[in-house]
Amino acid sequence: MDLTYSLIAVIGTLVVSFMVSLFLPGIERKFIHARIQQRVGPPITSPGIMAPIKFFFKQTINPESPMPRLYNALPLISLIVVIILLLFLIPQMYFLGALASIIAIVGFLKVEEVMYMFMGSLSKSVLSVRMPFPDMAKGAKHPETPRSFVEELSSLRAFRLIAFGSFPIYIALFVSVAKTGSLYLSDIIAYQQIHGPILFSLAGVMGAVVFFIGYMILLNEYPFSILKAKPDVIEGPYLEYASKYRAYVYLTRGFLMFVLATLFATLFLGIAPNIMNINFIITLIVALLFPMIMAVMSAFSPVFTYKQFYPTVAAVSILGVLAIVAALL
Amino acid sequence: MDDNKQNRKVIEAEVPMGPVHPAALEPYRLRLFVEDEIVRDAEMTVGVNHRGVERIMEGLPVEKANSLTEKICGICSNSHIWNSCRTAEIALDIEVPERAIYIRIIMEELERLHSHMLYLAHGCEVLGHETFSMRLFYIRETVMDLLGMIGGNRVQYGSAVLGGVRPRCELDEMRLQKITEGMDLLEEKISAFADRFVSDPMVMSRITGVGLISQKDALRLACTGPTLRATGVANDLRTVMFEYDPFDFDVITQDDGDVKSQLLMRVFENFEAIKIIRQAVRDLPEGPITNRSWEMKDVPLTKSYIEVPRGTLYHSYALEDGRVRNCVIRTPSMANIGAMQYACIGHHITDAQLSIVQCDPCFTCTDRAIEIINI
Repeated sequence: MDLTYSLIAVIGTLVVSFMVSLFLPGIERKFIHARIQQRVGPPITSPGIMAPIKFFFKQTINPESPMPRLYNALPLISLIVVIILLLFLIPQMYFLGALASIIAIVGFLKVEEVMYMFMGSLSKSVLSVRMPFPDMAKGAKHPETPRSFVEELSSLRAFRLIAFGSFPIYIALFVSVAKTGSLYLSDIIAYQQIHGPILFSLAGVMGAVVFFIGYMILLNEYPFSILKAKPDVIEGPYLEYASKYRAYVYLTRGFLMFVLATLFATLFLGIAPNIMNINFIITLIVALLFPMIMAVMSAFSPVFTYKQFYPTVAAVSILGVLAIVAALL
Repeated sequence: MDDNKQNRKVIEAEVPMGPVHPAALEPYRLRLFVEDEIVRDAEMTVGVNHRGVERIMEGLPVEKANSLTEKICGICSNSHIWNSCRTAEIALDIEVPERAIYIRIIMEELERLHSHMLYLAHGCEVLGHETFSMRLFYIRETVMDLLGMIGGNRVQYGSAVLGGVRPRCELDEMRLQKITEGMDLLEEKISAFADRFVSDPMVMSRITGVGLISQKDALRLACTGPTLRATGVANDLRTVMFEYDPFDFDVITQDDGDVKSQLLMRVFENFEAIKIIRQAVRDLPEGPITNRSWEMKDVPLTKSYIEVPRGTLYHSYALEDGRVRNCVIRTPSMANIGAMQYACIGHHITDAQLSIVQCDPCFTCTDRAIEIINI
């Protein structure tokens, strides 16, 4: 009976979460971006549901890549990593011990970040070096200079983001650890059930702000979208994905939006994603609120270069450290 | 830039972009030589969109050739046909009625407004600020509606003809009233946008000190139009054009020569354009709008320069049996290419397109040349 209940809870939570996540990109674009920009915007089902379905039935084109199979597999690996991330947030999976801990979450998020680096370095689109143009024959000002694809630039940026860009979200994760004194999700939730949500403390508020900025950076959303800045690297690591592989990219992004919001609800509100619990509604509300706030912020921001990115990350990281200190006190 | 060329240094990496690139509205090739994502040198190549308009104009009756010039550019179509007509009018000593001159000025300033709004919207889009971009396109619609009302079309108005303007561009009381209302609305909306724009710290951080062109370099690189004026040089051909003599307006200049100056330059020029249009509407003289009493004759090469939204536009041709000979057209973007390359250097690669866009490129109308192979 317990096993059946747990299986229903886990599978049900995964399925409902996935279905809700399909609407998030549409909500972000239709109800926020389009409304702010005074245009009609796409149908709500278009970015998250109809676009992936359309791409699934498109002809598969082999990309120009040194390792095309690996390159094509990366979006699917990303999606699996995000699903696993959600899986370990569900209370019925807490028996796995260390896998249902902050350390494991940090590890899975890192894997997700590293994917962008691989995608960028394996993509060789026609939009830069491979573009046939007469100046190839005529030479250039500096003919001995090695030529680089724009995706390589994007890969380099992904590496830098791993190094410093993801500081805010990881620091925010450890606010709840500092507050509860445990790395395990089960302990963090139990603490909040007794003492109330961490969000309603000074450390929690500061941590929530830091988490949200980290959420935007991890999702490469404006103004932190230097990884896929249109003025130079265009779509960055995703540039060459077509057909079902692009569908995976879309699905992963929507699902990651949901999972990160769920992670916030778990760490700062003490509500784990569980369809069998009425509090799951709060998780859904948080999952809806996060993309909406993010969309408002991104609609009013230009894309940041490092000149703006570094100080922002530094300031937010300092705020995160202060939140940890406040939590320890 | 020149030192690098002479020394042919090996730079860390070359990042080629285009001629197909989403941030570039028009096709051009850009090779950026970067070190740690900072542009150390840049090389820009245009010429992938040449249509040989000058060659097509060769031998055409001057009236037809004038109509053809309007197709050169989708943004400054009126500027081309006006300058082409102006060239013939100078050559053939055609006196243009005063009312027609006023209508031409209204069309030109409306075109300046829509061109500058398009420039600002494109700049904001490259900046990554889609909301500002959309807002500007929304504001621009007022101008487009007015142009459509006068010319019967939003892009190719066909207003100027030899000796005046087309009858369909006649401005009656209703049209004048609509133009006045449009200017009031535009002034209000552009003011609101400008206030919002300059008070946005994130936008200001992105555009201040980026794409810097000093006054000395702007003169050395032979910049023209607002690109030159944004470096502090008060050079505006409208001050010496006889058509603009009745109008009171200021030549706007900015001092810094960066993207911020270039963007604000266009915002302030919009207010001047509104001022000129209001004066033209208020003082619009009565009388005919076309002078048909002129005679065709053979004339040697005649030149005409006018100030268009992007700078100085040059048209020249000779007339032989009523047909165009030796036509040469030079658009302002041609003069600004050097500045575009130069402005990229020393800045982050993400700012490279922004540094180019700040000079308001229009390469589709710049690509005049024809490459003749196997003569």
